[in-house]
Amino acid sequence: MSLPTSSYALQRRLKSWPLAFRRLLFYALLLLGALTFLMPFLYMVSTSLKGVREMHTMNLIPREPTLDHFKAVFTQIPIGRAMLNSFFVYGLQTASVLVFSSIVGYALARLKFFGREFIFNIILLTMMIPGQLLLIPLYILIVQFGWADSYQALIVPGMVSAFGIFLFRQNFKTIPQELIDAAHVDGATELQILFRIVWPLSLPSLITVGIFTFMGGWNDFLWPSIVNRELGVQTLTQMVTLYGIGGQAGGQTGAVMASSLLAVVPMVIVYLVFQRYYLEGIASTGVKG
Amino acid sequence: MKATVTHPRKFRATGSALPAAVPELPRRMTARTRSLGAALLGALVGPVLAAFLGGAMAQTTITFWPSSNPEEIQFATQIVSQWNGAHPELQIKMQPLPASRSTEEVLLAAIAARTTPDVAANIYPGAISQFVEAGGLYQHESLPGFMEFMTERSGEDVVALYTHPSGHVYQIPWKANPVMFAYNVKLLAEAGIEPGDLATYTGFLEAAKKVEDHWGGEKHLYTPTVDVTWWQRFFDFYGLYIAASQGQTLLDEDGAVVFDNDAGREVFEFLATFFREGYAPKGQTAQNRFFQGTTLVEQAGPFTMPFYENNAPEGFEFGLIPVPVPDRLAGQPVYTYGDPKNIAIFTTSKHPEEAWEFIEFILSPENDALFMSITGQVPYRLGMTTDPLFTPILAEKPNLTAFLDQTARTRGVDDTPYLIEIFTAISREYEAGVIQGVREPAVALRRAAQQAKDIISGFF
Amino acid sequence: MTGIGRGRGARGAAGGGPDQRQLAAAQRDTGRSNPVGYLFTLPYLVFFAVFTAYPLGFAIYLTFHNWNIVRPDRPFVGLRNFERLFSDELFWRALYNTVIFLAVHIPLQIAVALLLAVVLNQRIVARGFFRVSFFLPYVTSGAIISLIWLRLYADDGLLNQVLVQLGLGKVGWLSDPRVAMPSIAIMATWKNVGYYLMIFLASLQAIPAQLYEEAHLNGATQWQRFRYITFPLLNPAFILVVVLSTIGGFSLFVEPFVMTAGGPLDSTLSLVLYLYQQAFQFLRMGYAAAIGLVLAVLIFLVTFVQRRYLEKEVGY
Repeated sequence: MSLPTSSYALQRRLKSWPLAFRRLLFYALLLLGALTFLMPFLYMVSTSLKGVREMHTMNLIPREPTLDHFKAVFTQIPIGRAMLNSFFVYGLQTASVLVFSSIVGYALARLKFFGREFIFNIILLTMMIPGQLLLIPLYILIVQFGWADSYQALIVPGMVSAFGIFLFRQNFKTIPQELIDAAHVDGATELQILFRIVWPLSLPSLITVGIFTFMGGWNDFLWPSIVNRELGVQTLTQMVTLYGIGGQAGGQTGAVMASSLLAVVPMVIVYLVFQRYYLEGIASTGVKG
Repeated sequence: MKATVTHPRKFRATGSALPAAVPELPRRMTARTRSLGAALLGALVGPVLAAFLGGAMAQTTITFWPSSNPEEIQFATQIVSQWNGAHPELQIKMQPLPASRSTEEVLLAAIAARTTPDVAANIYPGAISQFVEAGGLYQHESLPGFMEFMTERSGEDVVALYTHPSGHVYQIPWKANPVMFAYNVKLLAEAGIEPGDLATYTGFLEAAKKVEDHWGGEKHLYTPTVDVTWWQRFFDFYGLYIAASQGQTLLDEDGAVVFDNDAGREVFEFLATFFREGYAPKGQTAQNRFFQGTTLVEQAGPFTMPFYENNAPEGFEFGLIPVPVPDRLAGQPVYTYGDPKNIAIFTTSKHPEEAWEFIEFILSPENDALFMSITGQVPYRLGMTTDPLFTPILAEKPNLTAFLDQTARTRGVDDTPYLIEIFTAISREYEAGVIQGVREPAVALRRAAQQAKDIISGFF
Repeated sequence: MTGIGRGRGARGAAGGGPDQRQLAAAQRDTGRSNPVGYLFTLPYLVFFAVFTAYPLGFAIYLTFHNWNIVRPDRPFVGLRNFERLFSDELFWRALYNTVIFLAVHIPLQIAVALLLAVVLNQRIVARGFFRVSFFLPYVTSGAIISLIWLRLYADDGLLNQVLVQLGLGKVGWLSDPRVAMPSIAIMATWKNVGYYLMIFLASLQAIPAQLYEEAHLNGATQWQRFRYITFPLLNPAFILVVVLSTIGGFSLFVEPFVMTAGGPLDSTLSLVLYLYQQAFQFLRMGYAAAIGLVLAVLIFLVTFVQRRYLEKEVGY
């Protein structure tokens, strides 16, 4: 094991220790590190189950676990509706990103037309525009469309992703031309080629773009809180955050943590199922840089 | 750090507080979607979304946003179900004011986005000018029978008070929450302090010292809030300022900044003493100090009474006193901040007259009485002390009488579209000069006044 | 450019036929324009026009105007939004706060992410468990993370309880103006380490093993191998991490919004939070747009300089 920050002398000293002991120390430290990362989550789970009386004790496992906080959350805010909203809005947005971005990515990777490189450069350029610059005008645009307090306000501005197009273009370029030529001979249209041949061969990148789009939307607070205020169209992250800071929870730490838990769990499940694609997605950002 | 606000300080600028059983969820977007947006949407998403969204806009409905604290929700739920039962043709759809850091921000954004309800209750008059500037509020005086109704209920001077300089009436006076101080009866006695000792700054600070000595710093007499939300801090200042200035608000009649005066300086200095001398901690706690018995005195209004009733520990006794004043005012009648909250119809309403009918119903004698008995707050209604509808409630809630007495000497806030910005500036300097002590209180106040002048004299 | 392209390549690839293979091959070779290409990029172009180009233009237009969004009039104010911005104490304060944030966040981020990446690159027991632990905060919403840490950082919160148990004094994590921004930076590091760790890990795994073997044969120590092989080869990853964390730092919003509302004493006021306040508390759309534009230019400049500097400094 290498500890890059340790000094040479320290390494020598460590080397003189028995291997078993060094291993033990290493894993002890690593476990401590892991606990640092898990602790806030454990605290959240634990607090959401603690009764008011033991709320301010430090013990991790509640002595008298209770579901009262969850009941309180469900009676105080329409959190079920918010969860459905989040699944619907970001599910649709993800589907749209996959379809539209892959169509554009396909055109940029596999179709020759005048101005193609120009369009590709525009896309690269859009990826560099900081979102804060567009925040105000996009909000005004949404207002002018009459879309404040609506699903459209959440879905439409994110329906195509420059990052998705970029990733798909890079990926679709690697597909053997023979496969595409063969499909052309069989009379397939470009759309058919895209969805029947290219898509099945590009599942990893589709999943990667899909989960990052979905996660980005699900976890967002700023945009939904700017465009939507009505309870009926609030997303889960938005509603839980407003519940936590807006005073509706009246300082009930247990209830705030219970609602937070509900907002976190779906993303954790998505992560656990698609773990390896996260790595791929991040690694491909690395390629970009 | 809402977690630290352990009781809903609802008499503050914002109205959001405890739970709310949230009623059915509206689907209004289909009707509002403008053609351009719709065309774009249609082109991009197609029929799937449309099918999902396909809600109905069938009958005349009035959207009503009450405050989101439990007592007012309870009141709103009762009157709405009563109304809806009696008026099948005109249904009221209720949704508690969506919460955020402050309800003014929510309403302002809703005005900008033209997503305001027909009627909102619990509007803070300090934000009205800003809403009027933004073109969000209806001119109520043109409603049938409006002036007669309001004059009969609240009296000419109250109506005049809430009439805009332009002659339009943009808000309907509803209720007041005069600010007083509540004290812990047993602990005050244990420390050898008489409630009357707390009437002046000198007495108050001596008592604070006494409490520190008596419990070795474990308990405090009074702990001004250090909450991150600016208006929480601001209203610790404002109630005391109105008392110290004997009812002079931040600006004079000509709209000039006047709060950099003796009263302002005295209040800043008074509050700064708590932090400087260590009488009040700068850190926040998750517990309610007043109920815990670690703070003996706190600001209170009629609004806080139901909270006390429901949440105070067993055997907890409290009393009410007027807010403390500078020594020079000893023995004189004490003014205080009235914390009025009003009702208004928004310009987005397609049915203002129907909305007014519903408001008349909210403001009827019976419902004012219902409101008083559920929330413990004081409606802007004349003659309540003798009205048989109200006398039983007053007999049942003796604290209310104290508040009613105080209501005669209250002040609201100034009428300027920049009020919230001025409040924010004061709150910011208050934090620097009073809580953190990074500059002299008087310097901080002068800076706040200068900023207020800059704000009023124009953005640029 | 579409005007020129339209005339050519009229025989698209869309229709079926026996000569398709030839056609496709011909297209590839001669570079004839395929109209399907325009059809396929059209949705993006429409989207780009409506949701990127127009807002971009409107943002710049707004910076020269004063508008509260509801009123019909938008008086032209020239450069006064910028004049005000550069003399605005709070703007400079927010910028200063961002620098504080980055000064804590970037070194910490690199140190922790690199250390964990090197560890995870070894053959260790229960690697999956450790990877999940380090990555969990990244997949969680920053808003929710802030709600949790707000309680951990409270004066009587878990962290201070632990400190008191250890016989140490309490820290005013969010109530001390000198500590609040570093506290947020620590939390942001904790949240994002999983992401940066993966960047480092991907780069580490891309380093050919034979380089290490040769160095080993030449008698290089483990540290030397790290210093002279791993470190330089990680250069692109370093740049990426520094650039992305800088952008993250300039975009800081939800953490101070939820935890401190910019306080105490404006010590955690971030540029985006200030923009938000101007736009949605005071409806100063022009001023907010000006903040947005300056912010965008800053991000662009800083990351550009970083890239240049880092490439020169560590590049071989």
